[in-house]
Amino acid sequence: MKIPILKLHDCLLISIQWELDDETALQFQEDLLNKIYQTNARGVVIDLTSVDIIDSFIAKVLGDVVHMSKLMGAQVVLTGIQPAVAITLIELGIKLNDVHTALDLEKGLKKIKMELGE
Amino acid sequence: MDKKIANYIKTHKELILSRWKSEMKEQGDERFVRVVSNRVFDGASQQFIDLIVSNLMESNEEFSQRLHKFAENVVHIGWPLNFVTQGIRKFNEIIFHGMSEEGVVTRENYMEFTEGFDKWFGPMNDEILSTYTSTWERTVTLQKIALKELSAQLIPVFEGISVMPLIGTIDTERAKQIMENLLHGVVKHRSEVVLIDITGVPIIDTMIAHHLIQAAESVRLVGAKCMLVGIRPEIAQTIVTLGINLDSLITKNTLQAGIEAALEMTNRKIVGVEVES
Repeated sequence: MKIPILKLHDCLLISIQWELDDETALQFQEDLLNKIYQTNARGVVIDLTSVDIIDSFIAKVLGDVVHMSKLMGAQVVLTGIQPAVAITLIELGIKLNDVHTALDLEKGLKKIKMELGE
Repeated sequence: MDKKIANYIKTHKELILSRWKSEMKEQGDERFVRVVSNRVFDGASQQFIDLIVSNLMESNEEFSQRLHKFAENVVHIGWPLNFVTQGIRKFNEIIFHGMSEEGVVTRENYMEFTEGFDKWFGPMNDEILSTYTSTWERTVTLQKIALKELSAQLIPVFEGISVMPLIGTIDTERAKQIMENLLHGVVKHRSEVVLIDITGVPIIDTMIAHHLIQAAESVRLVGAKCMLVGIRPEIAQTIVTLGINLDSLITKNTLQAGIEAALEMTNRKIVGVEVES
């Protein structure tokens, strides 16, 4: 199952609706980077509202995606991380230190616009 | 056979009692003997012996009632559990020795008597143990409820700004609850800035600091900012002396300063209203 990546002005919008398995996550990483390359997107919002469980591998992939996107010139904001997921991430020692976060999609979009200086 | 034992106890009551008391005082923790007055000790010992004798004389129901009363009484006095079980065992030993000295217990009926004694002391031990554990369990549950009452709630003060006042010592279990309340509260109230007020926390050690940092980081992951307010001078001293790095947190000395900063972060400020005179 591929994760749909939507384009909105110069942002890319991804909403992850189900638990990611390792393969889907890696596929998603590839797809997103290709999409950034194709569309010259400057911002990426990944919405995790419907994700209840996350494991260390998925967390690492997400962190990697963020850094890779940055290398390609796109700012990334993670939105809607659930409390349980946040606790898991912290307990796993994954801090996603230089990743921007927002409470929900709306605030995430606002944040990325601010980051992009609009 | 039960009657033999009962008769022996009845006739030698005083002797057994005095022997038992002296042995128990020897055995018992000095601290403990000092705490329990002689009168209480004598009273309980007397009750103990009566109870044992009654076991042989009375019907089962009466006995179990008395046993229950006795166990509750012992718990109420606050005798340590090991002291009580030791007491029962010692009592057992004294009677057994006494009886073999008098020749009541012989090699032939040894097994029979041992069995008799077991039947006797088994339920007593069980009852006392269960009374103790139920008392402890009750205490623990009560304390857990008290802890829950104490543990922090997130209070929204302005739109997008919430405060979590912490009072009392924080342990791992409580820290977990704080973190959960904090995160769920942030999502529920859609807070942008959360202030954790530690004015009421008496001491900060590395463990608590670790939990606070963890909480702050998870708040950031959820998409809000976390601020630590209410840092008293001695707390600041401790934090630096312990070498705890709180750089990842925004810190302020008072809740007031924290709220001002939080308003600033959300592009707001408090202004005075001009009053027309």
